[in-house]
Amino acid sequence: MRWARSVLPPVVVGVVALAAWQLTVTLGRIAPFILPAPSEIWREMLQQRTNIWQAALASGENALIGLVGGSIVGVLAAMAASRFRPLAEVSIPFAAVLNALPIIALAPILNNMFETTSSIPRRLVAAIIVFFPVFVNTLRGLREVDPIHRELMHSYAANGWTFAVKVRLPGALPYVFTGLRQASSLAVIAAVVAEYFGGLQNGLGSRITSAASFTAYPRAWAFVVGACLLGLAFYLSTLLLERLAMPWRTRLIA
Amino acid sequence: MSAVVVDTVTKVFNQGRPDEVVALADVGLTVADGEFVSLIGPSGCGKSTLLRLIADLIAPTAGSVTVAQKTAGEARKQQAYGIAFQQAGLFEWRTVLRNVELPLELRGMSRARRRSRAEEMLELVGLAEFAGHYPAQLSGGMQQRVAIARALAVQPPLLLMDEPFGALDEMTRERLQSELLAICAKTGTSTVFVTHSISEAVFLSNRVVVMSARPGRITEAVTVDLPVRDDSVRQSERYFACVTAVRRALRGGNVSTPRTEEGVEV
Repeated sequence: MRWARSVLPPVVVGVVALAAWQLTVTLGRIAPFILPAPSEIWREMLQQRTNIWQAALASGENALIGLVGGSIVGVLAAMAASRFRPLAEVSIPFAAVLNALPIIALAPILNNMFETTSSIPRRLVAAIIVFFPVFVNTLRGLREVDPIHRELMHSYAANGWTFAVKVRLPGALPYVFTGLRQASSLAVIAAVVAEYFGGLQNGLGSRITSAASFTAYPRAWAFVVGACLLGLAFYLSTLLLERLAMPWRTRLIA
Repeated sequence: MSAVVVDTVTKVFNQGRPDEVVALADVGLTVADGEFVSLIGPSGCGKSTLLRLIADLIAPTAGSVTVAQKTAGEARKQQAYGIAFQQAGLFEWRTVLRNVELPLELRGMSRARRRSRAEEMLELVGLAEFAGHYPAQLSGGMQQRVAIARALAVQPPLLLMDEPFGALDEMTRERLQSELLAICAKTGTSTVFVTHSISEAVFLSNRVVVMSARPGRITEAVTVDLPVRDDSVRQSERYFACVTAVRRALRGGNVSTPRTEEGVEV
């Protein structure tokens, strides 16, 4: 019953919105190149389902590699920065600069650095985008150590490494996952957008641009929906991973 | 043999700066083996500072601290004491059992041995069936008992406690006081206990050390010789006489010994 109450409202809103969209397009006789009807998009999705699946796998692979790579570097950088204070003071503005960097500007430049058939530029773009939220959140988590935990570990004569592994890292986990949750959707967006600037024509982004240039707008929209589902899949996987990594929190909720 | 010797210790925070504070001035304290000593005094009298000096969590500005015939630093490195604070300070990502295991883990004890020791300690504080729970699933009083079990896990000759029952309700507090006394009697542990509850100090201690603030120093030590330590003693004349003596000492001025006070204020 409670499940129905939490699931029903968004489903109803979604169905109503789709119906309104359909009615607006058909009754308002809006041209399909401006806004195609949902029924049209749905038909394209069914027709293109293998293409969408293949493209999603290609973009998903880039996003995943970028996400994993960027996260590892982000966590390691945060660990180093939390260990050596001067490093943190230097690295935070540096990370902020990296964050302010528009990937739109970066993608074509990176494309020129590598071969045209290389997926590396896309993965790099995704990794750079992922780095910032993971780095900032992890660093905050690593710095926020309960003073009692600090005194306790001191009383146990624990060395810096033991302290980092047994207290700092597990204590920072909730923060790491806050960063990862933001990063997971960003990685997909970055991987898809990076495809707009040439290179291999195998991902969702390149499919969207090519469909749009053929004025096949419903097909372009079908791939957009695919990109949205891919982002959602990444986000939900991260949530699941969070639950698995922190069993002491799930039990609290269950 | 004495468990703790604090020899004319002075502690100054922020020395040489405008916000310099003399937390302790020329403090001397000796705790005998197996003795239970409470430190009591107003806020800012340096009782927690004194406990942290014994624990070697901070270093004295002048003077020396000896724990079990070793310097405080050596004693800490050998885990010669267990410590508990006002907040339980459990690690929320570890189960109750693994929280108690932590100090043993850092000592390099084998998995099987530390498990059985931790189980034994949980048995001692009456939480054996909660071994697999996470701290967030326990009440405040239960968490504090886990913290005590953890402090006792290395079976230290000395137990240092900084207002461990301060955040608990009166009923839980009295029950834990009795439990703590039973544990200390069973294990023969010497204890230094910081509190600002007069009744708690008197009920638990062999000796109540009264401190005053600015600068922090020891003004009086009241010996408490209660015949037994159970709930009935909380109603006894002897108990009230000691409470009165400590209260008088806290108020300062012309301090008398508890013996001459006996029966007067009750």
